[in-house]
Amino acid sequence: MTLTDVLEKDLVKVPLQATTKSAIIEELVDILVRSRHKYNRDDILAAVLAREALGSTGLSDGVAVPHAKTSAVDAIEVVMGITPTPIDFDAQDGKGSQFFFLVLAPEKESGAYIEVLVSIARATVSPVMRRLLASARSADEVLRLFID
Amino acid sequence: MIDPFKKMLVYLDGSEDSVSAAMAAIALAKRLDATLTAIYVVNTRALKDLVKARIFLDSEELEYRRDIEGDAKRYLRHVQELGAQKGVEVIPVKTSGTVHTEVRNYLQENHIDLLVLGGISEIHSRRDELLSETDRMMRTAPCPVLVVRDNDAIWEMFETLPNVKPEAAHDTY
Repeated sequence: MTLTDVLEKDLVKVPLQATTKSAIIEELVDILVRSRHKYNRDDILAAVLAREALGSTGLSDGVAVPHAKTSAVDAIEVVMGITPTPIDFDAQDGKGSQFFFLVLAPEKESGAYIEVLVSIARATVSPVMRRLLASARSADEVLRLFID
Repeated sequence: MIDPFKKMLVYLDGSEDSVSAAMAAIALAKRLDATLTAIYVVNTRALKDLVKARIFLDSEELEYRRDIEGDAKRYLRHVQELGAQKGVEVIPVKTSGTVHTEVRNYLQENHIDLLVLGGISEIHSRRDELLSETDRMMRTAPCPVLVVRDNDAIWEMFETLPNVKPEAAHDTY
Protein backbone atom coordinates (compact mmCIF):
# COMPACT_ATOMS: atom_id res chain seq x y z
CA MET A 1 0.00 0.00 0.00
CA THR A 2 1.28 3.46 -0.84
CA LEU A 3 0.24 7.05 -0.25
CA THR A 4 -1.57 7.19 -3.59
CA ASP A 5 -3.72 4.20 -2.61
CA VAL A 6 -5.28 6.15 0.26
CA LEU A 7 -4.99 9.85 -0.57
CA GLU A 8 -8.30 11.30 -1.74
CA LYS A 9 -9.15 14.75 -3.09
CA ASP A 10 -11.55 15.44 -0.19
CA LEU A 11 -8.72 14.76 2.23
CA VAL A 12 -6.29 17.27 0.72
CA LYS A 13 -6.49 20.93 1.67
CA VAL A 14 -4.51 23.73 0.08
CA PRO A 15 -4.03 26.08 1.78
CA LEU A 16 -4.50 25.15 5.41
CA GLN A 17 -5.82 28.06 7.46
CA ALA A 18 -4.23 27.31 10.82
CA THR A 19 -1.03 28.97 11.91
CA THR A 20 -0.03 27.08 15.05
CA LYS A 21 0.95 23.46 15.64
CA SER A 22 -2.08 22.51 17.69
CA ALA A 23 -4.44 24.29 15.29
CA ILE A 24 -2.88 22.51 12.30
CA ILE A 25 -3.47 19.13 13.92
CA GLU A 26 -7.05 20.07 14.72
CA GLU A 27 -7.65 21.32 11.17
CA LEU A 28 -6.34 18.07 9.68
CA VAL A 29 -8.52 16.02 12.02
CA ASP A 30 -11.53 18.18 11.17
CA ILE A 31 -10.97 17.58 7.43
CA LEU A 32 -11.07 13.84 8.06
CA VAL A 33 -14.13 13.93 10.30
CA ARG A 34 -16.05 16.11 7.84
CA SER A 35 -15.42 13.52 5.15
CA ARG A 36 -15.92 10.44 7.36
CA HIS A 37 -18.86 11.15 9.62
CA LYS A 38 -18.51 7.82 11.41
CA TYR A 39 -15.34 8.91 13.21
CA ASN A 40 -15.17 10.60 16.59
CA ARG A 41 -13.15 13.81 16.41
CA ASP A 42 -12.10 13.85 20.06
CA ASP A 43 -10.87 10.25 20.06
CA ILE A 44 -8.75 10.84 16.97
CA LEU A 45 -7.40 14.12 18.28
CA ALA A 46 -6.48 12.51 21.60
CA ALA A 47 -4.57 9.71 19.84
CA VAL A 48 -2.61 12.13 17.64
CA LEU A 49 -1.78 14.44 20.54
CA ALA A 50 -0.72 11.49 22.70
CA ARG A 51 1.77 10.42 20.04
CA GLU A 52 2.91 14.01 19.57
CA ALA A 53 3.60 14.24 23.29
CA LEU A 54 6.23 11.50 22.94
CA GLY A 55 8.18 13.52 20.40
CA SER A 56 7.42 15.95 17.64
CA THR A 57 6.52 14.56 14.25
CA GLY A 58 7.86 17.70 12.64
CA LEU A 59 10.65 16.25 10.54
CA SER A 60 13.05 18.23 8.41
CA ASP A 61 12.73 20.22 5.20
CA GLY A 62 9.25 21.45 5.98
CA VAL A 63 7.59 18.05 6.29
CA ALA A 64 5.51 16.96 9.27
CA VAL A 65 3.81 13.61 9.70
CA PRO A 66 1.55 13.60 12.75
CA HIS A 67 0.39 10.02 13.10
CA ALA A 68 -1.23 7.52 15.41
CA LYS A 69 -2.40 3.96 15.57
CA THR A 70 -5.86 4.09 17.06
CA SER A 71 -9.09 2.15 17.30
CA ALA A 72 -10.84 5.44 16.48
CA VAL A 73 -10.45 4.63 12.77
CA ASP A 74 -11.35 1.45 10.92
CA ALA A 75 -9.09 1.93 7.90
CA ILE A 76 -5.85 3.64 7.08
CA GLU A 77 -6.54 7.34 6.60
CA VAL A 78 -4.30 10.09 5.28
CA VAL A 79 -5.08 13.80 5.30
CA MET A 80 -2.67 16.15 3.56
CA GLY A 81 -2.44 19.90 3.86
CA ILE A 82 -0.07 22.66 2.87
CA THR A 83 0.30 26.02 4.58
CA PRO A 84 1.13 29.14 2.54
CA THR A 85 4.18 29.76 4.71
CA PRO A 86 6.13 27.52 7.09
CA ILE A 87 4.84 27.36 10.67
CA ASP A 88 6.55 26.30 13.89
CA PHE A 89 5.86 22.57 14.38
CA ASP A 90 8.84 21.81 16.67
CA ALA A 91 10.61 20.32 13.68
CA GLN A 92 13.84 18.43 14.22
CA ASP A 93 15.83 20.80 12.02
CA GLY A 94 14.44 23.84 13.82
CA LYS A 95 12.87 25.16 10.64
CA GLY A 96 9.21 25.77 9.94
CA SER A 97 6.92 23.09 8.54
CA GLN A 98 4.72 23.55 5.49
CA PHE A 99 3.68 20.06 4.28
CA PHE A 100 1.50 18.10 6.68
CA PHE A 101 0.46 14.47 6.43
CA LEU A 102 -1.89 13.18 9.10
CA VAL A 103 -1.69 9.37 9.05
CA LEU A 104 -4.01 7.18 11.10
CA ALA A 105 -4.26 3.42 11.23
CA PRO A 106 -6.44 0.93 13.05
CA GLU A 107 -4.75 -1.29 15.61
CA LYS A 108 -4.31 -4.30 13.34
CA GLU A 109 -2.94 -2.75 10.17
CA SER A 110 0.65 -2.15 11.16
CA GLY A 111 2.11 -3.54 7.93
CA ALA A 112 0.11 -1.30 5.61
CA TYR A 113 0.55 1.66 7.98
CA ILE A 114 4.32 1.32 7.76
CA GLU A 115 4.15 1.07 3.97
CA VAL A 116 2.16 4.32 3.75
CA LEU A 117 4.55 6.14 6.09
CA VAL A 118 7.55 4.93 4.07
CA SER A 119 5.80 6.05 0.89
CA ILE A 120 5.37 9.57 2.34
CA ALA A 121 8.98 9.69 3.50
CA ARG A 122 10.24 8.67 0.07
CA ALA A 123 7.92 10.99 -1.86
CA THR A 124 8.92 14.06 0.14
CA VAL A 125 12.65 13.46 0.27
CA SER A 126 13.05 15.13 -3.12
CA PRO A 127 13.66 18.91 -3.00
CA VAL A 128 12.03 19.18 -6.42
CA MET A 129 8.89 17.47 -5.15
CA ARG A 130 8.75 19.79 -2.15
CA ARG A 131 9.13 22.85 -4.38
CA LEU A 132 6.32 21.60 -6.60
CA LEU A 133 4.12 20.93 -3.57
CA ALA A 134 4.82 24.43 -2.26
CA SER A 135 3.63 25.89 -5.54
CA ALA A 136 0.47 23.76 -5.68
CA ARG A 137 -2.71 25.80 -5.42
CA SER A 138 -5.39 23.10 -5.20
CA ALA A 139 -6.05 19.56 -4.06
CA ASP A 140 -6.14 18.45 -7.70
CA GLU A 141 -2.66 19.83 -8.29
CA VAL A 142 -1.34 18.04 -5.21
CA LEU A 143 -2.88 14.74 -6.26
CA ARG A 144 -1.43 15.11 -9.75
CA LEU A 145 2.04 15.61 -8.28
CA PHE A 146 1.84 12.37 -6.34
CA ILE A 147 0.29 10.42 -9.19
CA ASP A 148 2.49 11.77 -11.98
CA MET B 1 6.04 -35.96 -18.66
CA ILE B 2 8.05 -34.23 -15.97
CA ASP B 3 6.02 -31.96 -13.68
CA PRO B 4 7.05 -28.40 -14.40
CA PHE B 5 7.14 -27.22 -10.80
CA LYS B 6 8.32 -29.25 -7.82
CA LYS B 7 9.30 -26.58 -5.30
CA MET B 8 6.94 -23.65 -4.90
CA LEU B 9 7.11 -20.53 -2.74
CA VAL B 10 4.17 -18.27 -1.93
CA TYR B 11 4.76 -14.81 -0.53
CA LEU B 12 2.50 -13.62 2.29
CA ASP B 13 2.17 -10.03 3.43
CA GLY B 14 -1.01 -10.13 5.48
CA SER B 15 -3.21 -8.91 2.67
CA GLU B 16 -6.30 -10.71 1.43
CA ASP B 17 -4.66 -10.98 -1.98
CA SER B 18 -1.69 -12.81 -0.54
CA VAL B 19 -3.99 -15.29 1.21
CA SER B 20 -5.74 -15.88 -2.13
CA ALA B 21 -2.33 -16.47 -3.67
CA ALA B 22 -1.65 -19.03 -0.96
CA MET B 23 -4.93 -20.80 -1.73
CA ALA B 24 -4.01 -20.97 -5.41
CA ALA B 25 -0.58 -22.23 -4.48
CA ILE B 26 -2.08 -24.96 -2.27
CA ALA B 27 -4.35 -26.11 -5.09
CA LEU B 28 -1.48 -26.13 -7.55
CA ALA B 29 0.90 -27.89 -5.17
CA LYS B 30 -1.69 -30.59 -4.59
CA ARG B 31 -2.23 -31.08 -8.30
CA LEU B 32 1.50 -31.16 -9.07
CA ASP B 33 2.53 -32.97 -5.90
CA ALA B 34 4.97 -30.14 -5.31
CA THR B 35 6.39 -28.94 -2.01
CA LEU B 36 5.03 -25.59 -0.87
CA THR B 37 6.71 -23.04 1.34
CA ALA B 38 5.05 -19.85 2.57
CA ILE B 39 7.32 -16.92 3.37
CA TYR B 40 6.54 -13.81 5.39
CA VAL B 41 9.20 -11.12 5.49
CA VAL B 42 9.11 -8.71 8.42
CA ASN B 43 10.05 -5.51 6.63
CA THR B 44 12.72 -4.27 9.02
CA ARG B 45 14.20 -2.14 6.23
CA ALA B 46 11.02 -0.04 6.19
CA LEU B 47 11.08 0.27 9.97
CA LYS B 48 14.70 1.40 9.90
CA ASP B 49 13.86 3.92 7.16
CA LEU B 50 11.12 5.38 9.34
CA VAL B 51 13.44 5.72 12.32
CA LYS B 52 16.10 7.25 10.09
CA ALA B 53 13.55 9.74 8.74
CA ARG B 54 12.58 10.33 12.40
CA ILE B 55 8.95 9.57 11.68
CA PHE B 56 9.19 6.75 14.22
CA LEU B 57 10.68 6.90 17.66
CA ASP B 58 12.81 3.93 18.71
CA SER B 59 9.95 2.77 20.92
CA GLU B 60 7.58 2.82 17.94
CA GLU B 61 9.98 0.72 15.89
CA LEU B 62 9.96 -1.94 18.61
CA GLU B 63 6.19 -1.78 18.99
CA TYR B 64 5.51 -2.13 15.27
CA ARG B 65 8.11 -4.82 14.85
CA ARG B 66 6.32 -6.84 17.52
CA ASP B 67 3.00 -6.22 15.74
CA ILE B 68 4.33 -7.41 12.41
CA GLU B 69 6.05 -10.43 13.94
CA GLY B 70 2.65 -11.33 15.39
CA ASP B 71 1.01 -10.84 11.98
CA ALA B 72 3.63 -13.08 10.40
CA LYS B 73 2.95 -15.91 12.84
CA ARG B 74 -0.80 -15.52 12.49
CA TYR B 75 -0.83 -15.55 8.68
CA LEU B 76 1.68 -18.37 8.37
CA ARG B 77 -0.36 -20.48 10.76
CA HIS B 78 -3.54 -19.65 8.82
CA VAL B 79 -2.00 -20.76 5.54
CA GLN B 80 -0.65 -23.92 7.17
CA GLU B 81 -4.18 -24.67 8.31
CA LEU B 82 -5.58 -24.02 4.82
CA GLY B 83 -3.01 -26.44 3.43
CA ALA B 84 -3.82 -29.04 6.07
CA GLN B 85 -7.51 -28.87 5.09
CA LYS B 86 -6.54 -29.99 1.60
CA GLY B 87 -3.79 -32.43 2.56
CA VAL B 88 -0.94 -30.14 1.53
CA GLU B 89 1.90 -29.50 3.94
CA VAL B 90 2.85 -25.82 3.91
CA ILE B 91 6.32 -25.12 5.24
CA PRO B 92 6.31 -21.77 7.07
CA VAL B 93 9.28 -19.42 6.83
CA LYS B 94 9.50 -16.15 8.72
CA THR B 95 12.41 -13.89 7.97
CA SER B 96 13.24 -10.20 8.18
CA GLY B 97 15.00 -7.57 6.12
CA THR B 98 14.28 -6.00 2.76
CA VAL B 99 11.34 -7.87 1.29
CA HIS B 100 12.37 -8.42 -2.31
CA THR B 101 15.96 -9.21 -1.32
CA GLU B 102 14.92 -11.80 1.25
CA VAL B 103 12.54 -13.45 -1.20
CA ARG B 104 15.09 -13.50 -4.01
CA ASN B 105 17.72 -15.00 -1.70
CA TYR B 106 15.32 -17.69 -0.52
CA LEU B 107 14.40 -18.57 -4.10
CA GLN B 108 18.04 -18.91 -5.07
CA GLU B 109 19.28 -20.74 -1.99
CA ASN B 110 16.45 -23.26 -2.02
CA HIS B 111 16.22 -23.80 -5.78
CA ILE B 112 12.55 -22.83 -5.85
CA ASP B 113 11.08 -23.22 -9.33
CA LEU B 114 7.83 -21.21 -8.96
CA LEU B 115 7.07 -18.03 -7.00
CA VAL B 116 3.38 -17.33 -6.36
CA LEU B 117 2.36 -13.74 -5.64
CA GLY B 118 -0.86 -11.92 -4.94
CA GLY B 119 -1.27 -8.27 -4.07
CA ILE B 120 -0.48 -6.73 -7.41
CA SER B 121 -2.34 -3.48 -6.93
CA GLU B 122 -3.05 -0.74 -9.39
CA ILE B 123 -0.01 1.42 -9.99
CA HIS B 124 -0.91 5.11 -9.61
CA SER B 125 2.49 6.58 -10.32
CA ARG B 126 5.92 5.76 -11.63
CA ARG B 127 7.18 6.19 -8.07
CA ASP B 128 4.81 3.47 -6.86
CA GLU B 129 6.07 1.15 -9.54
CA LEU B 130 9.67 1.74 -8.59
CA LEU B 131 9.01 1.24 -4.89
CA SER B 132 6.53 -1.62 -4.95
CA GLU B 133 8.04 -4.65 -3.27
CA THR B 134 5.76 -6.94 -5.27
CA ASP B 135 6.96 -5.43 -8.54
CA ARG B 136 10.53 -5.78 -7.43
CA MET B 137 9.98 -9.41 -6.47
CA MET B 138 8.52 -10.09 -9.92
CA ARG B 139 11.42 -8.39 -11.64
CA THR B 140 14.19 -9.97 -9.59
CA ALA B 141 12.91 -13.52 -9.16
CA PRO B 142 15.25 -16.06 -10.79
CA CYS B 143 12.33 -18.40 -11.52
CA PRO B 144 8.87 -18.24 -13.12
CA VAL B 145 6.33 -16.11 -11.23
CA LEU B 146 2.60 -16.79 -10.99
CA VAL B 147 0.51 -13.70 -10.22
CA VAL B 148 -2.87 -14.49 -8.72
CA ARG B 149 -5.48 -11.86 -9.54
CA ASP B 150 -9.01 -13.25 -9.46
CA ASN B 151 -9.95 -13.81 -5.84
CA ASP B 152 -13.45 -15.22 -6.45
CA ALA B 153 -12.25 -17.82 -8.92
CA ILE B 154 -9.44 -18.82 -6.58
CA TRP B 155 -11.78 -19.22 -3.63
CA GLU B 156 -14.08 -21.36 -5.75
CA MET B 157 -11.18 -23.48 -6.98
CA PHE B 158 -9.94 -23.94 -3.42
CA GLU B 159 -13.35 -24.82 -2.04
CA THR B 160 -13.91 -27.49 -4.68
CA LEU B 161 -10.77 -29.34 -3.62
CA PRO B 162 -11.73 -32.23 -1.34
CA ASN B 163 -11.01 -31.72 2.35
CA VAL B 164 -8.90 -34.14 4.34
CA LYS B 165 -8.85 -34.57 8.09
CA PRO B 166 -7.19 -31.41 9.43
CA GLU B 167 -4.05 -31.61 11.53
CA ALA B 168 -2.93 -28.95 13.93
CA ALA B 169 -0.40 -26.54 12.51
CA HIS B 170 2.92 -26.26 14.26
CA ASP B 171 5.19 -23.26 14.52
CA THR B 172 8.35 -24.56 12.90
CA TYR B 173 9.85 -21.35 11.58
